[in-house]
Amino acid sequence: MASSRAAGLTQRQWFPWVAWVLAGLVALGVAFVIESRSGGVRITSARMTVIDTVGYQQPPAVSPATLHAGGKVVTMPHAPAPVWAPTADASPQRIATRVTWYALTVPPLPDDGRQLYLYVPRWKSDGTLAIYADGQLVRQSHANLQWNGSNEPLLVTLPRTNASHPPRTLDVRLQHVRGIGGAFSSVWIGTYRQLAPRYTIREILQVQLTSFSSFAFLATGVFAFFVWLSRRDEPIYLLYFLTSAVVFLRMLHTFVGMHPLIISDAWFGWITVISPYWMIIVLHLFVAELHGKRQPLLTGAAVLVGGFWTIATLPGLLDPTLLSAPVYSNLLVLGLIIAGNGVRQSIRFRSRDAMLLSVWCLITVVSGIYDLALQQNLISIESVFVSNFTGVGFTLLFWYIMFGRYIEALEAATRAKADLAQRLAQREAELAASYEKLREIERRELLHQERQRLMQDMHDGLGSTLVTALRAFEGDRAADLDAVGILRGCIDDLKLTIDSMEPVETDLLLLLATLRFRLQPRLEAAGVKLVWDAGEAPPLQWLDQRHALHILRILQEAFANILKHAGAREITVSVRAEDDHVVVRVQDDGRGFDHASPSRGRGLTNQRSRAEAIGGAIVWEPSDRGSRLALILPVSKPRGARSNL
Amino acid sequence: MNIEAAPQAPLKVALVEDDAAFQEAFRTALAGAPDMAMVGVAATAAEARAMLSEPPVDVLVVDLGLPDGSGIDVIKEAHARWPGCAIMVATTFADERHVISSIEAGASGYLLKDSPLPTIAQDIRVLHAGGSPISPRIARQVLMRFRPDEKPVEQVEAAEAAEKSGVPSLSEREKETLQLITRGFSFEEIAELMGVSRNTVLTFVRRIYAKLEVRSKTEAVFEARAYGLL
Repeated sequence: MASSRAAGLTQRQWFPWVAWVLAGLVALGVAFVIESRSGGVRITSARMTVIDTVGYQQPPAVSPATLHAGGKVVTMPHAPAPVWAPTADASPQRIATRVTWYALTVPPLPDDGRQLYLYVPRWKSDGTLAIYADGQLVRQSHANLQWNGSNEPLLVTLPRTNASHPPRTLDVRLQHVRGIGGAFSSVWIGTYRQLAPRYTIREILQVQLTSFSSFAFLATGVFAFFVWLSRRDEPIYLLYFLTSAVVFLRMLHTFVGMHPLIISDAWFGWITVISPYWMIIVLHLFVAELHGKRQPLLTGAAVLVGGFWTIATLPGLLDPTLLSAPVYSNLLVLGLIIAGNGVRQSIRFRSRDAMLLSVWCLITVVSGIYDLALQQNLISIESVFVSNFTGVGFTLLFWYIMFGRYIEALEAATRAKADLAQRLAQREAELAASYEKLREIERRELLHQERQRLMQDMHDGLGSTLVTALRAFEGDRAADLDAVGILRGCIDDLKLTIDSMEPVETDLLLLLATLRFRLQPRLEAAGVKLVWDAGEAPPLQWLDQRHALHILRILQEAFANILKHAGAREITVSVRAEDDHVVVRVQDDGRGFDHASPSRGRGLTNQRSRAEAIGGAIVWEPSDRGSRLALILPVSKPRGARSNL
Repeated sequence: MNIEAAPQAPLKVALVEDDAAFQEAFRTALAGAPDMAMVGVAATAAEARAMLSEPPVDVLVVDLGLPDGSGIDVIKEAHARWPGCAIMVATTFADERHVISSIEAGASGYLLKDSPLPTIAQDIRVLHAGGSPISPRIARQVLMRFRPDEKPVEQVEAAEAAEKSGVPSLSEREKETLQLITRGFSFEEIAELMGVSRNTVLTFVRRIYAKLEVRSKTEAVFEARAYGLL
């Protein structure tokens, strides 16, 4: 069951990957089919004329007629080998520049008045572009000198008037920094239907795709930033945002530049050329966050290198655009080290996400080598910059990783909830069991105490009385005995025992009332008047059944003594609250007696020990007539008394 | 205890008790009282039921532990068949549980089995004259029953609903009487404290017992409704 479920999961996990790859292949196939089906005429040869200049000049209104006679024949796409570090002086007025003219002859086209277009897949020039048809200027770059949108394919509309015919010649003027730029691809001429598919596919692949993915990545990055704001202890969200921002900055040059930039060429060049260093650093940190092992030394080294170039190429210092070749080479080395390290760490710390990202970094670095070759005109300039697509791949990878984290967090929350419920249930069961156990122990203890109490009580009272009576009957001394009195005493004893087993709920007066209710018939029979003076008594929290029996026995003994020895006619029972005590007084009007007399000894000891057992005391107070016993009980729980449990 | 003995016809008293010794003591006690006549004795619940189909007596004394059933059922039946008869439960310890359930079944007093014989006759006389004995603990129990706020929570709703359905509650004087009893005061002392006659206090107690019985019946009906039995 478990294994089949795991297999099912694996299947489902692979399914989207396969779907993605298939969709990508289908899209590529469609692109190739469309490209191969489109038409138009391709011009691949030209006469190239080169003139060295200083600074930039505006192009002439009409192209020089001498172009088609002179110069040397070259094959398009044509790219001169760039020099490693072209110039030291970067100011546009004094910079060493060069005008490269390409003069193209257009093969005869049907002169049917149809609208014609030029399609230029790529022109590479850190400078300006002007295109002439039949010697007349038809198109010129107007935005910037360096970042002029050379990544964007051109679709140029040829003039169409009531007197126009298909052009016979095309002239291209590039003014660029001496030593770099000046490259031009082959040119296509034809109708819109012939050229649009080619142009559109290149436009989508080179410009739209990167633009769309950069904006989308940045949008999720901003979202991650807000996540980080509320979860500061998880820097991965901040790193996600930083990555998206840096990738966005890096990708900007692929889709802007056709129009004037809002910042200077120098700043834009700085951002574009240097941002890959920042990318490497944030990616390195992000991967470390994924596999969980930080590498301060390596991070420091990367920051040092990146920081050096960042500062060294600030506008006004070295020109990053002109120095892009060494800058990018250095970048490749750093990228290789960081990506390789990422792969190694991912294997060591078994992080699948870190592995994916590191491998993709490695792929990007390798594609960076290709792009550097393309940038250095080492391969056909009609090719495309592959790292633009790996940039899109980064967007997808980051989404994948974040999606995984999100799903994991949701599952963890669900699990935690289930776990919590389970733990709670378990804890509840444990508590119930331990409570049950405690209850059982308590119950047993209570039973034991209750048995002890009753046994003690019966042993001292009922038992000994009955034994005395039995001995008397056995010794034929029954006649000396008040048998009825003894039995009544026994029954009274029993009744008090039973009374003591009923809860009194802290109510001392109720307990005393019960005693009176029991004793009243005997007092009446003895002709003794009872004056009941029950005042107020606060509830006694400690008054449980064991304590109740002690109190009953103490007072029962007191009454028995008065009836037996004092010859009293009136007994007054009063209850008073005094300070933090309750005092029960039993006063008689009899003869009084000597508390120290031996015959009283046992009962007295009994009363005293009972009073002590409940944390109270017994005092014989001085009195004019008879005697006065005071039972003093504490209101709060007596410290001396043993607790009920 | 100055209730006057009946001038003409003696009180007809019947006993339901399986213990021959107490039967004997009871006979002796009544033989010593010229104003009372022992008209029937039943040793089992069955015999008691047979006796109940005969003409009513004035006072019926019932023991709870019968060999073939509970004395409570006998009390209930007697209360229904002989509405004018004063019913007493015979008990050794006057323990609350038995006495209160007997009162709820329709008894209006209890007789302590170990009382001296003259006291037994006197207690019967008092009961017939309208006086009911009450111990402090029973008084407290009764107070608790009539005080809804001291009941467990789930019973409070039932008690409130029962109140609306006409269950009697205790008057202030009745409550005061019960409270004084729980503090140990005798009927005489209570009469003096409340400024009424002793007889008035006795009628308070009798009325309280009657209310207890009605209340228990109504509550039974109410509970049956709550459980869907009615």
